Amino acid sequence: MGDFVFYFIALCTCVFSVLAVTQRDIFHCALWLALTLMSISGVYFYLDAAFLGVVQILVYVGGIITLFIFAIKLTAHMNDTSIRQTSKQWVISVFVTLLLLLVLFKVFARTSWAEIILKTDSTSINQIGLSLMTHYALPFEFMSVILLAAMVGAIVIGKEKK
Amino acid sequence: MIPLVYFIFLSAFLFCVGIYGALTRRNVIGILVSIELILNAANINLVAFNKYLGTPDGMGQVFSLFVIAIAAAASVVGLILIIAIYRDRKALFTDGFTLMKE
Amino acid sequence: MNIAHYIPLFPFLAFVINIFMGRRLKVASAYVSIAACVLAFIFSLLVFQGFSAGQGSYSLGTWLVINGKSLNFGVIVDPLTIMMLLIVTFIGCFILIYSIGYMHDDPRFSRYFAYISLFMSSMLGLVLADNFILLLIFWEGVGLCSYLLIAFWYERPAAAAAGLKAFITTRIGDTGFLVGILILFFACGTFHFTDLKSVTGPESLLTLAAILIFTGAMGKSAQFPLHVWLPDAMEGPTAVSALIHAATMVAAGVYLVARCFPLFSAHPMALQTVAVIGGISALMAATIATVNNDIKRVLAYSTISQLGLMMLGLGVGGLSAGTFHLMTHAFFKALLFLCAGSVIHAVGTQDIQKMGGLLSKMKITGATFCIGTLALAGVPPFAGFWSKDEILLTAWNNHHPILFVVALLTSFLTAFYMARLIFLVLFGSARSQLHAHESPLTMTIPLMVLSVFAAFAGFIGAPIKEVGMEAHGGSFLIMAISTVVSLTGLGLAYLLYIRRIVLIPVSSVSGLHNLLVNKYYIDEIYDYVLIKPCLRLCQGSFVFDAKIVDGLVNAMASITQFFSGLLRKTQTGLIQNYLFVQILSLVLLLIWLLKI
Repeated sequence: MGDFVFYFIALCTCVFSVLAVTQRDIFHCALWLALTLMSISGVYFYLDAAFLGVVQILVYVGGIITLFIFAIKLTAHMNDTSIRQTSKQWVISVFVTLLLLLVLFKVFARTSWAEIILKTDSTSINQIGLSLMTHYALPFEFMSVILLAAMVGAIVIGKEKK
Repeated sequence: MIPLVYFIFLSAFLFCVGIYGALTRRNVIGILVSIELILNAANINLVAFNKYLGTPDGMGQVFSLFVIAIAAAASVVGLILIIAIYRDRKALFTDGFTLMKE
Repeated sequence: MNIAHYIPLFPFLAFVINIFMGRRLKVASAYVSIAACVLAFIFSLLVFQGFSAGQGSYSLGTWLVINGKSLNFGVIVDPLTIMMLLIVTFIGCFILIYSIGYMHDDPRFSRYFAYISLFMSSMLGLVLADNFILLLIFWEGVGLCSYLLIAFWYERPAAAAAGLKAFITTRIGDTGFLVGILILFFACGTFHFTDLKSVTGPESLLTLAAILIFTGAMGKSAQFPLHVWLPDAMEGPTAVSALIHAATMVAAGVYLVARCFPLFSAHPMALQTVAVIGGISALMAATIATVNNDIKRVLAYSTISQLGLMMLGLGVGGLSAGTFHLMTHAFFKALLFLCAGSVIHAVGTQDIQKMGGLLSKMKITGATFCIGTLALAGVPPFAGFWSKDEILLTAWNNHHPILFVVALLTSFLTAFYMARLIFLVLFGSARSQLHAHESPLTMTIPLMVLSVFAAFAGFIGAPIKEVGMEAHGGSFLIMAISTVVSLTGLGLAYLLYIRRIVLIPVSSVSGLHNLLVNKYYIDEIYDYVLIKPCLRLCQGSFVFDAKIVDGLVNAMASITQFFSGLLRKTQTGLIQNYLFVQILSLVLLLIWLLKI
């Protein structure tokens, strides 16, 4: 049963992600991306990372995708489906990407995973909170600075010039 | 129990899809979408390893959080840049931006 | 107390002040230079006094050590140096004062005083240097200043060309000088003058070194065949001609030979060369001076002639005779140039055929001009008589009859052309409309002071030599001959230019006349034999450089440009192309590294 859930989620993720990069209409792309991200949050739930799954939905689907949709709507006439949406190098890109995938798979296949001692104790939200406030306090603070900088930068750039 | 390597395969696939998108989309927003996919691929790796290697302080998940935050910041700045470029040039296609050549 | 080395520092300080703050100082820059010069003169006097009490040469420290032989920053203090110090600073002072009047409305007034100060600094350093290398540095320094001051009015093409000519011509001599120094060092391992008395080495090598060193002196003192620059150097301000091209710098060559006299006297062939070159220069320049119509050029040829006479004096073995004439000549030639400057200042032309009757209009200048002329002509008891007589006497006593005759002939010609000069300029009637007026006091005071010295400086040397003269029976005879010859020259000029008696019609000697007017065609010969081929060589080199060297470089550039043009196509400017290459490279790198 548990295995089946994983296969289902993985399949969804793969299909949705391929659709997200190949759809002609950029608005549809954004919607497929939202679905992909939700599937990935499913992967997180499956991996006992419930907090992360929630954050994924809240931040990505609730925040970033919304932003995408705003941007798409603001640049409306770029999204006409009659306009070619893929660049001239797409055939060779398919080839190279597949080659990359092949190489990665071969590398994984060669790795002896059996040597890794698996432990399956899950991480609680409590632990994440503790880590963020103690061991990872400095990166955490940096993160807030980066977010602030991004916000200020976005406002400055986005301001209409007189 | 699903083996760890399956998650890695999933993540590699997502990564490659993201790369393909970044290489082929003409629309800059499409490229941003692809980048989000790449970041998520990395996240899946982090969370899976966190689970299977049992890091006591939840390092993988904490880093995933950071990645999500960075992705949010990158999207905000990227999208606002796109809007600024659009305002300026009324175009969003990468093959139109060859200013650096001259 | 060793203070001699401070002397050149004062003018150098004045140079620094004037070159950097000259625009703000304006006329005050002249006072800075004069103050520095006066201080240098006072220090020179102190050195003179100290020397009597037994001061000598000293070293300020080691400069280099070559093969275990040290080269010092040395200062030499002996009578020759002290004499030169006093001449340079004393005459320099008056020429600086004179320059205030002469240069008063020049736009580069302070620049002029800066250069003069630099010149004085270099000249004082030159006479104080106790080794060849140090001397050479200052030697080039005075050469530089000479160039700068000849070409001072560089807006005039003639002045710029004259500066270049002087620089290049003296440079030919300097090259020989440098080679000579190096040969000397190679032969006996010393640069120091004090070691010259006791040098030992291969005879032929030392003779060669001495002759090459004399080449430097030839260039600086404008001796045949390197004399061509001095007449052209008259393009510079007249005060400069007086200081540099009459009294001091051109005497540096004579000073050099005097300084190295032990080396020359030990090698008769070198000494003979000095005497012969001096004799040729003396006679040649004197003959040219008899027909020249430019007041300054007559004096310039006279300078060459007198320097030749000094060289002749040294060459026949008369160290004291040559240097004594150097001193007296410095006074009266500086005086004559300043007089000429005063005349030019007043009438605005240098052509003596257009002047005449100026004595009544410019009494002080005229009178001092006459005194200078008499001194140069060698009429007793003026300064020139004593020193010239000394040279004649030495030549006679040391059994050089031909050189004696040459010197005698030169003094005859000297008297003749100088008399011609003053008769045409000061006496007779004006030959053109000239509004002459006496020069300002700043110009006439130096004239008066220098004329006093031109008249009486000879007595400084005369009494000392009197003891020697008693020993030689012929000395009074030679004095008499010299006086008669001088007076004959004066008299001949009087007949020709005041009485206007035509002894020989010019047409009958037109060949000779043309030869003299054209200065023996030496400039033309140089032009044809040296300058033209040199220029042709330069043009050839230029074509070689432009076509072949530049062509090669350009070809390299074109090839690079061609290939970069090909490479440029890869720079599409499309970010996705770059990203694609990046990913492809990553894949290939992975394949290669992991050997999949």
